[in-house]
Amino acid sequence: MFYSYGVTKVVIIRIVGGSKEWKISLGQERIRVKELLEKIGLLSNEYVVVKNGQVVSEEETVSDDDEIVLYPVVSGG
Amino acid sequence: MVNCSICGKPAVYVNRISGKAYCKKHFLEYFDKKVRRTIRKYKMFGPKEHIVIAVSGGKDSLSLLHYMVKLSKRVPGWKISALLIDEGIKGYREYTKEDFIRVCNELEVEYRIASFKEYFGYTLDEIIKIGKEKKLPYQPCSYCGVFRRYLLNKVAREMGATVLATAHNLDDIIQTFVMNIINNSWDKIMRLAPVTGPLDHPKFVRRVKPFYEILEKETTLYSILNNLYPKFVECPYARFNIRWMIRRQINELEEKYPGTKYSLLRSLLKIISILEKHKEEVIQGEIKTCKICGEPSAHEICRACLYRYELGIMKEEKKKVEELIGER
Repeated sequence: MFYSYGVTKVVIIRIVGGSKEWKISLGQERIRVKELLEKIGLLSNEYVVVKNGQVVSEEETVSDDDEIVLYPVVSGG
Repeated sequence: MVNCSICGKPAVYVNRISGKAYCKKHFLEYFDKKVRRTIRKYKMFGPKEHIVIAVSGGKDSLSLLHYMVKLSKRVPGWKISALLIDEGIKGYREYTKEDFIRVCNELEVEYRIASFKEYFGYTLDEIIKIGKEKKLPYQPCSYCGVFRRYLLNKVAREMGATVLATAHNLDDIIQTFVMNIINNSWDKIMRLAPVTGPLDHPKFVRRVKPFYEILEKETTLYSILNNLYPKFVECPYARFNIRWMIRRQINELEEKYPGTKYSLLRSLLKIISILEKHKEEVIQGEIKTCKICGEPSAHEICRACLYRYELGIMKEEKKKVEELIGER
């Protein structure tokens, strides 16, 4: 039996220590971190990106099932 | 997968101007070279120094402390200490203070915490409340900036500092540059030099900014790679500041036109060298000594004492201020 309904693959993006979280489905698309952040209105030079536990550059590609944690560069302190 | 341009390992950073990618090891080497080059270029330190690092407990200043302690191991004539100013901002400072003490203990660095409460009798939260009640026209960051800079100089001197190092990075510097252009404050632009001197006043501790040419993104990455990134805590007053909007605008420009930030820094250095030649026009009168507290001041009474007077948090000196204001 194959239960595929209700299970959509997504990229999960969250800001470290914050409550904000996004879930985006890319489907077959593979895009760069920079473009992913653009989709949710963020600037790549304002975050250090950790993909699946590893620090990556904004040129790194992302696809569904990846987990992205953003470390804000602009802390305001 | 983006790979390091030097060794081919997975990259953690891409320099968008040179196009070079760096793995963790080579990013830290690149970072070290860049800071050392900045220190050399602007002759920040001599062979024998007591360097006091101004630390807020945020990622940049913890990174500077970490970096300078490591660098000092190669220079036998250097002593490093850390200084934190506790403004008294509830829900913010108590957390960054924890990180500060943890890192100081790990690095085995002597430190001093000086608070607004200890020196002025009130916390920043209390000062802001009084300011509002008295309908004073100042923003939270104005009180904080004036009192913090005042204490940094005074306490660093008390600690025996020969030089005070702050963690201002390239982003901080150019944001302040733009803010001061908007305010037509050319005297403040002159103070944005990488080294600001003791020659103006004997009680001024020489100040240096070793991260002057380092992007905020790079200092953040350094903090993450060295396990220094603090629990994300934002100053509750930060968003009241015009800096917040300017920062966003500059970051948007940088995203579209990489290199904008370095261009702004070059413009700043150029204008500082031009302003240096017209010092008398830019800075009105010489640096004086505040007649109330004895600290360096642009006027007869320094800004910190004037704020204390306006806030009504001054006791015995109050009469003296009134006499001096009356004399004008």
